[in-house]
Amino acid sequence: MRIREVIETINRMQADGIIDRYAIGGAVGATFYLEPVSTLDVDIFIAFRAQPQDSLISLEPVFDYLKARGCTMQDEFIVIADWPVQFLPATGLLLEEALRDSVTIDVDGVPAHVFTAEHLAAIALQTGRAKDKARLLQFVEAGALDAEQFQSILAQHDLTNMWNRFEKQFLTP
Amino acid sequence: MSFDLKKMLESKRALRRDLAARPIAEKLRMLDDLRERALAIRAASPAQHGASVREEPPSYRKIENFK
Repeated sequence: MRIREVIETINRMQADGIIDRYAIGGAVGATFYLEPVSTLDVDIFIAFRAQPQDSLISLEPVFDYLKARGCTMQDEFIVIADWPVQFLPATGLLLEEALRDSVTIDVDGVPAHVFTAEHLAAIALQTGRAKDKARLLQFVEAGALDAEQFQSILAQHDLTNMWNRFEKQFLTP
Repeated sequence: MSFDLKKMLESKRALRRDLAARPIAEKLRMLDDLRERALAIRAASPAQHGASVREEPPSYRKIENFK
């Protein structure tokens, strides 16, 4: 299973101190809660080590570490175990909170850190592309969300109006 | 063979529930397989260019025609 190899590699990178906390997001993250949906890449959200002297976030240490272990670059992705992986900084209040509250799920003995279903849904709502709306609908239709927790996230991140519009557009018969 | 739409939709929902409830390791293996298939289809299709999926904006010209 090659995604499992991706997770193992990222866990090693974390253990080696290259990254701090990470969480799987996007379609792969959603698959932890929903039926699998075809995707071509893996989104990994990471917290960067605080470097007060640097104003710009650099992914160089991540890429250097992975390239030294045989991974190759493909546009903005780095290919791990045949999967293009995109490392994304968890910046902004919602993503920072999502990373902080991420959960650890066992994948056949390998721990995988993943955003919660409620945060994945809120991020999809905030991002708002067609495929994000489709994913949000999947979460709702599958009953995969804790309604109270989801509403609390929406309220905290000023997404309630956006959710009301979404509900009116897609969930009102 | 019947074409009871209600039954078909319920059957689809049941399949999705079943897939969602499978062990995560199995679902991740499905993602591996789905990706391989998507890439094979893409490679076989001469109309596809590049490696990324692009979402086309709506055609505003068509909308203007209704004015």
